[in-house]
Amino acid sequence: MSATRIPPPQPAQRVGAAPKKHEGKTPGDGPDFRSQLDAWLESHRASLVDSLRRLAKQPIGSFFTCLVMAVALSLPMGLALLLDNVERLGGSWQRAAQISLFLQIDASEAEGQALREQIGAMDEVAEAEWISREQALLEFQQQSGLGEALKELPDNPLPGVVLVTPKEVDKVTLEALRLRLAELPKVQQAQLDLLWVERLTAILNLGDRFVFGLTLLLVMALLLVIGNTIRLHIENRRTEIEVIKLVGGTDSYVRRPFLYMGTLYGLGAGLLAWLVLAYGLGWLNAAVIRLAGLYGSDFALAGVPAGDGLSLLLGAVLLGYIGAWLAVARHLNELQPR
Amino acid sequence: MIKFEQVGKRYPNGHVGLHELSFRVRRGEFLFVTGHSGAGKSTLLRLLLAMERPTTGKLLLAGQDLGQISNAQIPYLRRQIGVVFQNHQLLFDRSVFDNVALPLQILGLSKAEIGKRVGAALERVSLADKAEQFPSELSTGQQQRVGIARAVVHRPALLLADEPTGNLDPRLAAEIMGVFEDINRLGTSVLIASHDLALIARMRHRMLTLQRGRLIGDGEAV
Repeated sequence: MSATRIPPPQPAQRVGAAPKKHEGKTPGDGPDFRSQLDAWLESHRASLVDSLRRLAKQPIGSFFTCLVMAVALSLPMGLALLLDNVERLGGSWQRAAQISLFLQIDASEAEGQALREQIGAMDEVAEAEWISREQALLEFQQQSGLGEALKELPDNPLPGVVLVTPKEVDKVTLEALRLRLAELPKVQQAQLDLLWVERLTAILNLGDRFVFGLTLLLVMALLLVIGNTIRLHIENRRTEIEVIKLVGGTDSYVRRPFLYMGTLYGLGAGLLAWLVLAYGLGWLNAAVIRLAGLYGSDFALAGVPAGDGLSLLLGAVLLGYIGAWLAVARHLNELQPR
Repeated sequence: MIKFEQVGKRYPNGHVGLHELSFRVRRGEFLFVTGHSGAGKSTLLRLLLAMERPTTGKLLLAGQDLGQISNAQIPYLRRQIGVVFQNHQLLFDRSVFDNVALPLQILGLSKAEIGKRVGAALERVSLADKAEQFPSELSTGQQQRVGIARAVVHRPALLLADEPTGNLDPRLAAEIMGVFEDINRLGTSVLIASHDLALIARMRHRMLTLQRGRLIGDGEAV
């Protein structure tokens, strides 16, 4: 008796591997490309429906898994959105950065006005405002609460000031402008105070790093959550997996429903996180608008931009998929038929 | 179809499952493997299913060396084999139809083809009217027949059965054996591991007798 070779594992030939004596074997029995594609799509559809059915069978458990993932996703995303808003607020303050030109004490009203016109005509300058010595003293008396004490002074000690609002807020450009303005006649001192903007920027950078670190940690936590959830699903379907492997199921066939499950968990978590963020920011916004109003600002928090929301959703789906893949890869080899 | 050449199986704990086993099985042959518990029947079946690899010798199944086969090829090898277990190994959350359809879904056949083949397989084991029921609603004998239908639905070249009548009364056991003979008549090689000598004797097929991993008999059962 000589050994007969099993046909190579080509899908079109596998089905026809049975001896010719078998019933139902016809020349057109092997599936063509179209029917193979249909069968492949059908297999994916069946895996997706099966995964949905299994999630729906345990609605509370599935919901809480999604909720845990959603909270983990919302934290870094929410912080990032808040930082974006603070940056926006900082940007608007930065745009209001001004250079104060303190004139010599003997500069006259006419010289001050002439200087204002000269500076206002410069390309880099958006606006120039002249504040006379008298006006400066009046404002100082009103704002400092030292009105009576200032009245005792023999002379007005305050110089006239030209407030320059530049077009550019770039630090280097501003410094160059400040040096140029300081050279103008009758200018005693040109002052540019951007320290607070630099401090705010440093704080925002720190915040960005914090959010990045937090995101990394929570991504790992998410992978663990999804991995553990999928591991439990694998354990519950141990017999099924063993049978599938015994009747010729490949690793990718076994893996498929779990990948769909991970993806569905990710999708659910992403949608929930989007919802949590949208409502959370809306809820916070009322208080922010009230606070900003007290400072005479019309600042309001921006909601979750559609692009960010979609990125969140895509990221969550990817995390679900990757988490499931890692879990299945880790446990698949342990599940050999017994 | 099957060729054992000095095949040995030694487990990491030192236990020898099979000891230099040599025999051949022709395509379309029906044979029994018998022996007491621990004789090596299950080890032999596990080697044929590539659940384990021989530690010595050469095992060929339809020309493929099962000692050298890669892990990626194993699923495709198993698609050429049908397997029936003593405990049926059915999926109790799936209907009879879905249990039997499983190997065809794995093969990627169309819905229509699956429906046709599952219907024919269930017809062959006289369970066509139970397709929509669940295994838990069936008797032990019916469950075993579902297991057989699943094992043959993809028209394997080889059918392996491990104590398929172990839990059945003599009448049901004879009925199941009749189903195996029907399948064999269609060209499928059938290898059954069983210690039911009375049943084997009635069937009058070739019988391999194992004892402590050694082949001590090869001939027609009487």
